[in-house]
Amino acid sequence: MERVRSLPLTDPGTPPLTGPVAYLAWQARRQWGILTVGALLGVLMFSCQAALPYVTGHAIDSGLAHGFGADLWRSAAMLLGLGVVSATAGAVGHRYDVENWLRASFAASQLVGRRVSHSGHTITAELPTGEVVSAVANDALRIGEIYHTSARFIGSIVAYGIAAFVMLRTSVSLGLIVLLGLPTVAVCIAALVKPLQRRQAAQREASGRLTTLGSDTVSGLRILRGIGGEGVFTARYREQSQLVRRKGEDVAVTQSWLDALQVLLPGAFVVVLIWYGAHLAVAGEITPGQLVQAYGFAAFLSWPVQQMTYTVQSATRAHVGASKVLNVLRVVPATGARPGTRPMPPAHVPLVDEVSGTVVTPGRVSALVCVDPDASAAVATRMARFDDAAEADTPVRLGGELLAELDKLAVRERVVLAEATPQLFSGTLASELDVHGTRDAERLLHAITLADAHDVLDSVPDGLDGELPEKGRSLSGGQRQRVALARALLLDPEILLLVEPTSAVDAHTEARIAARLAEARRGRATLVVTASPLVLDHVDEVQLLVDGRVVATGTHAGLLARTDAHGAAYRRVVGRDLDEMTPPHGVARVGDDDPIAEEAFDELLQDEPAGARDRTGGRP
Amino acid sequence: MKLPIADSATVRAYTAYLLRAHLRPLSAIAVLHTCAAVLGLAGPWLLGRLVDAVADGTTTGYVNALVAVGAGAVLGQTVLTRFAQRSSMRFGEMVFADLREEFIETVTSLPLSTVERAGTGDLVARTTNDVNKLQNAVRFGVPRVIVAVVTITLTVVACLVLSPLVAVAMFVGVPVMLVIVRWYLRRATPAYLRESASYATLNGTITESVEGARTIDALRMGARRQARVEADLREAFEAETATLNLRTVLFPGVDFAFITAPVAVLLWGGWLVSQGHVTIGVVATIVLYTYQVSGPVWDLIFWLDEIQVAATSLARIVGVRLVEPDREVREGTPVDEDLRARGLRYAYREGHDVLHGVDLDLRAGERLAVVGPSGAGKSTLGRMLAGIHPPTGGTVTVGGVPLVDLPLDELRGHVALVTQEHHVFVGTVADNLRLAAPGASQEELRRALEAVDAWGWVCALPEALETEIGSGGAPLTPAQAQQVALARLVLLDPHTLVLDEATSLLDPRAARHLERSLNGVLEGRTVVAIAHRLHTAHDADRVAVVDGGRITEIGPHDELVAAGGDYAALWRSWQHESA
Repeated sequence: MERVRSLPLTDPGTPPLTGPVAYLAWQARRQWGILTVGALLGVLMFSCQAALPYVTGHAIDSGLAHGFGADLWRSAAMLLGLGVVSATAGAVGHRYDVENWLRASFAASQLVGRRVSHSGHTITAELPTGEVVSAVANDALRIGEIYHTSARFIGSIVAYGIAAFVMLRTSVSLGLIVLLGLPTVAVCIAALVKPLQRRQAAQREASGRLTTLGSDTVSGLRILRGIGGEGVFTARYREQSQLVRRKGEDVAVTQSWLDALQVLLPGAFVVVLIWYGAHLAVAGEITPGQLVQAYGFAAFLSWPVQQMTYTVQSATRAHVGASKVLNVLRVVPATGARPGTRPMPPAHVPLVDEVSGTVVTPGRVSALVCVDPDASAAVATRMARFDDAAEADTPVRLGGELLAELDKLAVRERVVLAEATPQLFSGTLASELDVHGTRDAERLLHAITLADAHDVLDSVPDGLDGELPEKGRSLSGGQRQRVALARALLLDPEILLLVEPTSAVDAHTEARIAARLAEARRGRATLVVTASPLVLDHVDEVQLLVDGRVVATGTHAGLLARTDAHGAAYRRVVGRDLDEMTPPHGVARVGDDDPIAEEAFDELLQDEPAGARDRTGGRP
Repeated sequence: MKLPIADSATVRAYTAYLLRAHLRPLSAIAVLHTCAAVLGLAGPWLLGRLVDAVADGTTTGYVNALVAVGAGAVLGQTVLTRFAQRSSMRFGEMVFADLREEFIETVTSLPLSTVERAGTGDLVARTTNDVNKLQNAVRFGVPRVIVAVVTITLTVVACLVLSPLVAVAMFVGVPVMLVIVRWYLRRATPAYLRESASYATLNGTITESVEGARTIDALRMGARRQARVEADLREAFEAETATLNLRTVLFPGVDFAFITAPVAVLLWGGWLVSQGHVTIGVVATIVLYTYQVSGPVWDLIFWLDEIQVAATSLARIVGVRLVEPDREVREGTPVDEDLRARGLRYAYREGHDVLHGVDLDLRAGERLAVVGPSGAGKSTLGRMLAGIHPPTGGTVTVGGVPLVDLPLDELRGHVALVTQEHHVFVGTVADNLRLAAPGASQEELRRALEAVDAWGWVCALPEALETEIGSGGAPLTPAQAQQVALARLVLLDPHTLVLDEATSLLDPRAARHLERSLNGVLEGRTVVAIAHRLHTAHDADRVAVVDGGRITEIGPHDELVAAGGDYAALWRSWQHESA
């Protein structure tokens, strides 16, 4: 049996981004070999199937004319032979169809995967997450579909040709009835599909709302069970569920008419055919076997006709799918779209944000404090270069060189930004901590100690080898933050920028982390954006940012003790004298996942992708 | 804690129960489909009669009469199909609606402790994914299986009626087919589940990559994420190859079994014709029937396969029904509003106590702050005090009655748990508030919102109280959402509140505003505040330090500071640094 070439390919190639048709043609060229084999097998299978009614009719005639004898045996053997060849060609052809489908759709998924992995945040800025995920979950599969159906499409055309030839030779009028009647029936039925689709869409919409209601109710279940209101919600769900049911019944009405017409139209067609054929047979113009042939062809040909309409639909879907995939592939990263133009400065040089005057000095742990935590976070972010166009007016220099003119990956290697809303990824705890896979277990445990994250080891079964679920969802907000901190510390970069690294942890833990953090970063350059006194007390130097400028620099104790306006400003940020109830520091949106949006989204992905589960192999 | 999944015996029993409950409509549908299928057999039969008639020499009148019968059969089949399809689809809609409604009802009456511990992720997945996966099988699968079974049976019966002698030949391929289909179905479910799981993983990876795009960029994780996508694709490929291999056996095997039928019928029938036992027309009819039956057989195989896969979703839906209630309502009326814990123990896993015998007396109207390191058992203690979890050992009583003996409605009137989790339900602002008090008047809603300082922005909404909020409605900030949650509490009006870090995940400006709202709620109630931040502790009447599942220190802030224990040390460092 043919072995399917292993996927994904090492190189998915570079597709043209000009348009969907160019993209689809490019993909076809990349797999023209298997497309050709698939098409040949399709032709073979359909030809065998087309020959079956012919041979059957012949067998009946020979049985009538010569009784049980060599002629009948020959026909039977031919029938069996055709069946075996058709079954084999069908099975091998199905393998090629699936390979064609997988090759094309996996290539698209792979290209999207690569783009997403290297685009940075531009992808999120330019496209909604749902659309990007849907490019892989749906659109890539739809692209594959057209390569999957192509073989059967070609086979169908050939089969139709064969049937036409045989029928027209038998009787021109009978042949014309079969060949023109069937497409007419197909067109009539297709015309009736529109109203059905409208009602189906109405039901889908109602059903989507029902799913939202269901997941809304369940997402808020803790609240419902805590304070009541379950009755109201189940009643509401029931009401919508009954609405969906009624819409479903509307669909059933239209659908059942369509089903009935699918009986009536081909049935009427066959009745006319038999009536006309029987008269020809009575008149002796055709044999009884040929009458059976005509009936057999009429039954058989509805299959290729279906295949052809199906192919037209898949072509439309592939076109739409390709344009959606192209939307993702066209995203250009906001940073480092062009290669660096200046050489990297030597190691251990300061990183300076010119507009604010913030300086990250080699060998020091600094803190950046601002009354507006967003403003200080923004400074730290641009010091790590995240948007070349937007940061053009706020130059940042590493050892005198403009950051924007350096090679991006080289910058990322030396300057690492750990943001306030860090993202964890699914995978083993060890591999998620050590993202470049270069540290040993001892270093991992050391980093975990630094981030005071030993409780994470206990809460993940199997410790370091334990699996974190998607986005580290099983961990609490505070645990996620500490894992992210350990991950950043493990990178051990020359310059580390930490934004609110301890905003979601309790005071006990924060105090311990702060003490260890300063120790761990000794000798390297570090900037911590924070307003927590527990952290500030352990840094070498604090820079106070007011209205976008660093106005004062000193130790935590020194700034607290200052009697001028800057001292007062500093105390206002870090002290308790402004408002007793204010948590002493910054933005922490660690746990702000919107469960509804997320689940509705997950649900979207669960929609069966078209063509993904074609188990019948396109059989009638 | 994981929610249960029903075993196959339970799923079978549940399915049998569903079928029994709907026996009447089910039989009606079967009868309609049977009649339609009988008429559907007319074509080949007529053709056989015509072949015989033509062979024997006949008149056009006879041909016309036969064809007229055929036309009548087509019309009849059309009408019957219309009604059979309509009623079976309606039936599918009804059963599926019942099933999902019953499921939601079961879910919303799950025990408090299960909801708290299992989290909502799994439940949401069951409500959306599993219910949706089941719908194809119930709405389309069941009717199609009925049609297929009826059609196959009738076709076989028709052949046997026409000529049992000829018909025996059509079964020659059946043993092969049974062996192959059985072989396939046994392997298909895990293989297709693996396939859909592999795509779910791939989609999850892409989602993570998109949402974590900044982190990936910042930590140079691009190559690694790309490798992950490719590994997921490889797994999807292997899963696809595995199902493809199954089909590579199924397709030719079944196709081959099909072709043996007409061949055997032709040969055997040809011999019988030569012996004068049957007419050639009968043989032709049965040959055509053997072709015609392949469609419904493929349909049946396909749907059996789908239904098998759907059964795994059904197992997860039925599984929710297996959760045992966590409490039993007993007699007893609280004599006062004092909350008291005695010898409180709790273990999430047997033998691993998180709380080791906690005693605590809350005085009516006091504010108790609970502080301590992560994992010390603060939140667990909070949940015990709110009556969410029945304790493993010891009791929590209100006015002398154990909390877990109270009916849920009454428990809610005594004590409520407020967490950082907030959820805005789809519906109007008023809908969201009335959860706590279904009969509350507009005036009461207004007062509740005023108490939490939220009346202002609610009035500014396009339709004030009647504005749609929640997913798809007017967006609320996290602070506003939290205020709605607090207003609910005002309406619920319990005498004791347990706050589990209710404001810790908000940004400082929002939190400041919210603390004011919170004060409006706390007014006049007993409050247990589990806190990250020491300022909360400073302002409380008493502070309890929880460490290692025990209350290690308890007393007013000043006394604890004076006592010089852990709390004092922590307080001093904090004080020193910010003073």
